[in-house]
Amino acid sequence: MEETLKNLQQTALADIPDAADEAALETLRVSLVGRSGSVSLAGEQMRSVPKEQRPILGKLLNETRTLITEALAKRQAELVALKDAAAAASLDVTLPAAPQPSPGALHPITLLQDRVVQIFRRMGFALADGPDIDDEWHNFDALNTPPDHPARNDTDTYYLPDGRLLRAHTSTVQIRTMLAQLPPVQIIAPGSAYRRDEVDATHLNQFNQVEGLYVAPNVSVADLKGSVEFFLRELLGTETEVRFRPHFFPFTEPSFEVDAKLPGTNKWLELAGCGMVDPAVFEAVNARRGDNAYDPEVYTGWAFGFGLDRLTMVMTGTNDIRLLIENDIRYLAQFRQ
Amino acid sequence: MKVSLNWLREFIPLEKTVAEISDLLTYAGVEVEGIETTGVDINKIVVAQILASEQHPNADRLSVCRVDDGSGTPRQIVCGAKNYKVGDKVPLALPGAVLPGDFKIKVGKLRGVESEGMLCSARELAVSEESAGLFILPADSPVGAPIRELFPADTVFELEVTPNRPDLLSLRGIARELGAITGVETTPERAFETPGKSPFLIRIENPEACPWYSGRIIRGVKVGPSPEWMRKHLEASGLRPINNVVDVTNLVMLELGEPLHAFDLAQIDRGIVVRPAREGEKMKALDGRDYELTSADLLIADESKSLAIAGVMGGENSGVTEATTDILLEAALFSPRGIRRTSRRLGLSSDASYRFERGVDPAILLRASTRATALIEEIACGVAEKSIAIEGQLPLFWWEVSLRYDRCRLLMGVWISDTDIDQILTRLGLQALGNEKWSVPSSRADLTREVDLIEEVVRIYGVQNIPAKNQGFVAPVSAVDNAYDFQLRIKQRLIDAGFFESRTRSMRGEIAPVDEAFRTAGAMRVRNPLTEDQTFFRESLVPGLLEVADYNQRMGVTSIRLLETGRIFRAGQNEEKPKIALLITGDSGIADWRTPVRPVDFFDLKAAVSGILRSRTPIEFVKTQAPYLFLGAELVSDDKSLGWIGQITPDLVRRAGLKTPVFAAELDLAALQSVTDGTRRFQPLDRFPAVTRDVALIVPDALSHAVIEQTLASAKEPLLRSVHLFDVFLDPTGKKSLAYSLTYRAADRTLTQDEVNAAHQRLKTRLVENCGVSLRE
Repeated sequence: MEETLKNLQQTALADIPDAADEAALETLRVSLVGRSGSVSLAGEQMRSVPKEQRPILGKLLNETRTLITEALAKRQAELVALKDAAAAASLDVTLPAAPQPSPGALHPITLLQDRVVQIFRRMGFALADGPDIDDEWHNFDALNTPPDHPARNDTDTYYLPDGRLLRAHTSTVQIRTMLAQLPPVQIIAPGSAYRRDEVDATHLNQFNQVEGLYVAPNVSVADLKGSVEFFLRELLGTETEVRFRPHFFPFTEPSFEVDAKLPGTNKWLELAGCGMVDPAVFEAVNARRGDNAYDPEVYTGWAFGFGLDRLTMVMTGTNDIRLLIENDIRYLAQFRQ
Repeated sequence: MKVSLNWLREFIPLEKTVAEISDLLTYAGVEVEGIETTGVDINKIVVAQILASEQHPNADRLSVCRVDDGSGTPRQIVCGAKNYKVGDKVPLALPGAVLPGDFKIKVGKLRGVESEGMLCSARELAVSEESAGLFILPADSPVGAPIRELFPADTVFELEVTPNRPDLLSLRGIARELGAITGVETTPERAFETPGKSPFLIRIENPEACPWYSGRIIRGVKVGPSPEWMRKHLEASGLRPINNVVDVTNLVMLELGEPLHAFDLAQIDRGIVVRPAREGEKMKALDGRDYELTSADLLIADESKSLAIAGVMGGENSGVTEATTDILLEAALFSPRGIRRTSRRLGLSSDASYRFERGVDPAILLRASTRATALIEEIACGVAEKSIAIEGQLPLFWWEVSLRYDRCRLLMGVWISDTDIDQILTRLGLQALGNEKWSVPSSRADLTREVDLIEEVVRIYGVQNIPAKNQGFVAPVSAVDNAYDFQLRIKQRLIDAGFFESRTRSMRGEIAPVDEAFRTAGAMRVRNPLTEDQTFFRESLVPGLLEVADYNQRMGVTSIRLLETGRIFRAGQNEEKPKIALLITGDSGIADWRTPVRPVDFFDLKAAVSGILRSRTPIEFVKTQAPYLFLGAELVSDDKSLGWIGQITPDLVRRAGLKTPVFAAELDLAALQSVTDGTRRFQPLDRFPAVTRDVALIVPDALSHAVIEQTLASAKEPLLRSVHLFDVFLDPTGKKSLAYSLTYRAADRTLTQDEVNAAHQRLKTRLVENCGVSLRE
């Protein structure tokens, strides 16, 4: 009996570490410590063992069972580790990432507009707006445009049957803001404007502008230059050259066109119109307000208008303005950021 | 306007380069749109006559010429051109000449034969693009004469003059401006004597439209071509020479800015009548076209017929021709507004109407008439009558404007002395009257207010010389700021979920296939559309997105997710509303190794919409109907309608040209913002464990998930914390089942099994009793 147990122990402890896989180990386990396995059978044989030998043999049997169980557990752990290692080794880490929704994109006009808005906000400006459908008074009269100015013609501006019109510039917001609030005023107004133009590679009949207005006591041409130069250098790069050319607009006096020369280029780009708010504009606002809140003797100001579409084209290299309204996803996807 | 530099120098002796003049004009507010150089400005190129030409001994394509360069010693030149014959006069570049492109001419051998210079083509001299062969010169060109004298160099500036500066539409005006900027004196104007009054009959019926009219009779003119110098001036200015009389009127217009017109006196019946046209009156103008006029148009007529459309174009019947011997020279003043109206209505613009509609200086009229008369006498051998017929009243030649020096400095933002301001205004032709008052000449009709004078000071002082300043105060945030940020935040979320932002037009067509279903009684239209596809204002962003989706599908995009924010328009209060629209169609994405591709459905869009909602109050999806919706729901929160979400009707999708089902939503940004903005209040956190119990229900087909949620919520079961739908399925018998897990929790204790079971049982019973469901146990 003792001999048998010792043989059993020896054989089992030699076989277990050799079990090739979990199935072989399981077979081994069943044959050793299973219900009718060798160790269980040995246990049953204990009953026929002489009484005086039982303590010794019993101890040997327990020892054998413990050693075998431990060996089985150890081998089991080894096999699991091996299997995990194999699984890890077989994982193709070069497979694509688990799918995420691929991001879309904001329209390039929106991106540029937001940069403009953020720069002006840092300069202390708040946003303002007004309706797309406005009237002749806000769009022309209040902005000191003569009654027979060609821009008022049916050929140039869209009208509604009731005589109102689609604003031809966002400068209407200057008027609406001054009617709605007291000075000082420091606003910008991004928005659509409309002109009755044939659409081609360089023209849209509905386009995007940003209007700026600053009204306070003692505002001068020097203030206008400071703000517009700062804005354009923030937008286009600190090395950008900016120049002001005297020009003519009915609602500013003096008026300027602003050109910028982008770093690394040698061409002046016509970017914006601006000027000192014409006293006639303040007077039109006062007349409608019924007060003298914008007394031109006390308040002066500058106004600024800027088109987003052309600049988007320049900055993105877009060669046909119609791409901006076509909304081709392959075009839009190029501006993910 | 085109301005020849050579001609301009007759008005002001400017010692400046082309680039400097261009900068001066630019900074003064006159845009230089183009600079063109003409003629030859190269030394050592002379007229040469070809004396003989022989084949080159070593080259088939070359010949060896002997030419006379006027020096007395013939030169030998090797030449490759074939277009000449012996005796022709051609340009010869002598050794030492430098042709355009830094091409230096030297004595050298060509295929073994010496060549002492080069015979030139027109292109090599940059006088024209013509490159085929030598530039054959007129036979009377003097041999040996420098080519630069035959084709004097000139620079032509193409100027864009702003509408407020009609005084710059003449050489005299440009010279005066450059004089003001540089301080250089312009050449003095020619003195003239005011002629006496002629009895020739002029009658003005409409003095508002024509305040002043003059006619000078010149007899015995010989109509013929103009002299070379005059033709050159006109051509450089972009005008075609016609005959000496017409050319003089044009020349004087270019010099002084007053358009003139010459009538054939023989064609005038008795006298001139300036009158409104009769309604429907027809007139054949000098361009050979017939124009139908209205009573708003002004005519120059005689006692029996019309002669010219006043200030716009002469009539064919009264123009100066070869047969003309006596002329009537018109110099007149017309109302800018009337001319503008007529010119625009007829679609007929001329150099004359261009100037009249911007305003002509009344002080220049007699000067222009006298100058033209003298020129016609000189060039066309006419004899002018001593007197001139005049009718009407000229406006003032000057007026008074005050300028406060301090105000000027304040607006400029820079310190400038009184003396400097005086000097600038004086140079511009204004006269100081003392007491900060100035007399403005009538050439500057744009200067009527103080601020106009300040603008002049800024211009001449130079805006580039005003330092830039940075200003101070900060505007408080506005409602528009908040709306802008809200909108951009929402858009950014959708971009991250794969949406592309479109920007479509505000106006849509009457017959666009997808618009009808979205149109309401409040639809608004444009009175004067330019194109048929932009006549109505959009009442929804979705039709535009349907078109964009169709376009992209045709371009091969299989998975389309679009968004747009923009205004919609509808008559009534809040005529313009900002909206956001979403549209998805096609595949759920691109096939990948973990997720199969499937067509998108309603719940994909609902996921996107839910992804942007952050409302303070719960949002309900209430089933709704609309002409464009196949199935749809209205989003309601806090009793406000936020918009709709749904599947577009298959018919509409088909009409839009799309091949896959389309799901769209349109939300009102203001309403959405109103339920979203606002500070959130702190809720105490649960500290005790939650218990979850599931319940599976067999429900009638028509019973919605929302009703079950509502039934559970309205039970006000204190322990119920949340309800989560985790399965929807049809069992083998076709019955619809919904499975929920309900979470129970108390704020102050750990729940016992009995408490939870009792609560769960109460809710199950309520569902059975109130909703007609049965329990799947």
